[in-house]
Amino acid sequence: MSNSLRPYLAVVRSTLTTALTLENFSSQVVERHNKPEVEARGSKEVLLNPLTISRNENERVLIESSVNSIRMSIKIKQADEIERILCHKLTRFLMQRAESFIVLRRKPVPGYDISFLITNVHAETMLKHKVVDFIIQFMEEVDREISEMKLSLNARARTVAESYLSAFTS
Amino acid sequence: MILLEPHNVIIQTTLVDKVAKPSSLDIQFVDFDGVRFHLSTPERKTLVQLSMNIRCWDELVKYGAMEVLQREYGSLIKSQAEAEYNVSLDIDLEQIPADEEARDNFIKSMSMFKRNALAAPFERAFRQQKELESSGQAQGELMQVHYRDEEAIYIQASPDRVTVIFSTVFREETDRIFGKVFLQEFVDARRQPSIQNAPQVLYTNRDPPLEIRDVPGLRHTEDIGYVTFVLFPRHFANAVISSSTISHIQLFRDYLHYHIKCSKAYMHSRMRHRVAEFQKVLNRAKTEVATTERKTVTGRTMATR
Amino acid sequence: MSLLAPIICDNGTGYSKIGFAGNSDPSFVFPTAIATRGSAAQPTRAGPPIPSKPGNLASKRGVEDLDFFIGDEALANAKTPGYAVQYPIRHGMIDNWDHMERYWEQTIFKYLRAEPEDHYFLLTEPPLNPPENREQTAEIFFESFNIKGLYIAVQAVLALAASWSSNRVTDRTLTGTVIDSGDGVTHVIPCAEGYVIGSAIKHIPIAGRDISQFVLNLMRERGEMAAVPAEDQLKIAGKVKENYSYTCQDIVKEFRKYDAEPYKYFERYDGEHSVTGRKYSIDIGYERFLAPEIFFNPEIYSSDFLTPLPDIVDGVIQASPIDVRRGLYKNIVLSGGSTMFQHFGQRLKRDLKQLVDRRLEASAASSGSVQKSSGVDVDVISHKRQRYAVWFGGSLLASLPEFYTSCHTKAQYDEIGPSICRRYQIFGSAT
Repeated sequence: MSNSLRPYLAVVRSTLTTALTLENFSSQVVERHNKPEVEARGSKEVLLNPLTISRNENERVLIESSVNSIRMSIKIKQADEIERILCHKLTRFLMQRAESFIVLRRKPVPGYDISFLITNVHAETMLKHKVVDFIIQFMEEVDREISEMKLSLNARARTVAESYLSAFTS
Repeated sequence: MILLEPHNVIIQTTLVDKVAKPSSLDIQFVDFDGVRFHLSTPERKTLVQLSMNIRCWDELVKYGAMEVLQREYGSLIKSQAEAEYNVSLDIDLEQIPADEEARDNFIKSMSMFKRNALAAPFERAFRQQKELESSGQAQGELMQVHYRDEEAIYIQASPDRVTVIFSTVFREETDRIFGKVFLQEFVDARRQPSIQNAPQVLYTNRDPPLEIRDVPGLRHTEDIGYVTFVLFPRHFANAVISSSTISHIQLFRDYLHYHIKCSKAYMHSRMRHRVAEFQKVLNRAKTEVATTERKTVTGRTMATR
Repeated sequence: MSLLAPIICDNGTGYSKIGFAGNSDPSFVFPTAIATRGSAAQPTRAGPPIPSKPGNLASKRGVEDLDFFIGDEALANAKTPGYAVQYPIRHGMIDNWDHMERYWEQTIFKYLRAEPEDHYFLLTEPPLNPPENREQTAEIFFESFNIKGLYIAVQAVLALAASWSSNRVTDRTLTGTVIDSGDGVTHVIPCAEGYVIGSAIKHIPIAGRDISQFVLNLMRERGEMAAVPAEDQLKIAGKVKENYSYTCQDIVKEFRKYDAEPYKYFERYDGEHSVTGRKYSIDIGYERFLAPEIFFNPEIYSSDFLTPLPDIVDGVIQASPIDVRRGLYKNIVLSGGSTMFQHFGQRLKRDLKQLVDRRLEASAASSGSVQKSSGVDVDVISHKRQRYAVWFGGSLLASLPEFYTSCHTKAQYDEIGPSICRRYQIFGSAT
């Protein structure tokens, strides 16, 4: 883990832990409804100020909290065209399977690559620190996965090119 | 499977079957680059007709495809091709050599029908190069083969080499980027000492290379790329080498696209694996819901199905 | 460029049927098997192979996932050290997507030699396939292969479409009962206007494999198999089943016929030992008509499954909504290799008709009413394309001009995403 990554993740972790203070909260607008307020945005008094943590201009995290839910969005590092397309493919693939990733949002918040939505129900049925662990681990691994994918693409391309060209010389 | 094979599997397997047991037949199928085939028995069960439709047939004829096919198939070629097809062969199953090896070779050559048709411009260029070398002229004619709707092969002979240029179009963003990575490696690969003798590869994006700059109707868009292969006389020094070079270079575009698709498939399997891993981490967060068995007064359990 | 023929891929549990639309037979029929490097015992212990650092060509690292065989070649390589054969489809549904994706990859590029970007594809799915599976399939075909358009059809519906080729079918309807019997399992599937009535589907654990085993048992008991090498026995039983068996109308009469004139009815099979080349010949007797009989009297083979096929079909139709039952009785369609026995259709029709008539009489008697029912038409349709009926149905539908408008195109997929495959359009029927 590089030096600047460690404090970045530490800040995200502590902010996330603090933000995950959720309670059951019935909708103030519609009777007998209970909606994630951060999505519904029904009234201003239940929303907290959103917060951005940036590592650099390409990598940042947006945490929007409310009384009964938080929304967390990640912008993943994309150095070049290849990483951009790989990142797009990977996040799309994950979001396609959002059903099984209970806390994953099906669409990212504009300006970010992937978003999570954690409600009070999730906080009640799952261990809070483990959910935070999951998100931190996700952030760590997603970068690594993308660079590994890029490496493997290059390695493949090389083997493919070499096998094609070496057939001419045989 | 890394390399693609030059022969058509359907022609091969069907003919092997029919030699063993002739029966009436009527199938249509394709090969790479929009080539259509039709295998049928219009007259009797032992007379199989194989017809082919190639998009760029007129161009190929101009560059001597008929002579090449004549050489390969001789009298098998029908004077009148089947309607909607460019060229037809009559294969009499009773005339096929009985010797096993000769028969296999015969069937193999049938399954190379498309390869042989498309070989004509290459063979012509190789011959031209020889002529130019001895006469000392500057350039041969630029042969254009529009083998796909948007893509073409350009072949030109020079006194010391034959230049083959493929124009490639990627319809999708992902393909374009993957393709770029692959093509860049094609260019770099020759630095490897083991394949120094391979043809030189050049790649330009968007702008056509010098040789074909004057060709009318070229597009100048981001999604088009030009790959140039420079074949030196050693790549077609004798008949065996030149025929394997031709089989090989013809399939360049299909090879490239095949591998782009394979790498996408590989990415998919990586991502599936990654999803499963993340899933495991997330499952660790779930608390064990205490499932105490609930019973009725009479002692029956209430199970949810 | 004129449109190239759509590709029809019917991937079954045992065999895949693959070919181009417009033909009457699939171009390739081979086992849905894939032989990959790595042992079968621990399939995904470390996930996909992670390539080492680029630059070492010698070991060809980074492309291990291209090192595999499919179909017959997979089985041929089963014994090669380092390879293990896997079956990516279980019970009709795709079980291992990684293997399936690679299986398709090689099907398209090595066997069909088609550029997927130029083709439309018609794939098949079993009844009650979860929509998530369709989405995953669409994801593979549109994203990996960039195909032009995709249509995923239910196998039973294609089998109904295949029956239009029979000259006894005059109205091209997609209402009917499909009896699909392959190698592993037999399904009875009711369809109403192109949609499967999921709640009424029944499965029968008797199919091709069981029939071969049954024939083998019979011949062993008679001692015919003594001369046959052990490894060939099942294959020979399979051949006997395919080439000599037929469905009789009355089992007792048939036995009597055989006993009276054994020379007329007994057949002889001549074989050759695959290794030593020794010739042998065996007699084929009662198994000729007993083999298909296990559908009608399952007690002769199995001890835990005892309901005859006609009863199951009747039960399935009775479990379907009342307004389609007439249509289901009128159009019972056979599909799959294990329904190919001679006179199979007639026997089924007769038995089913008896069941239906008996019930009508009973209800007329118990109601005591003077009005009589006009009766129910029962018809079982067998046709020439039964063996690959599903594939043939696909070939038929994909050659209709409506096919292209019913397909989901690449543009639509890019616009909406994989969920587009959750809905599909029924087309081609005359009604």
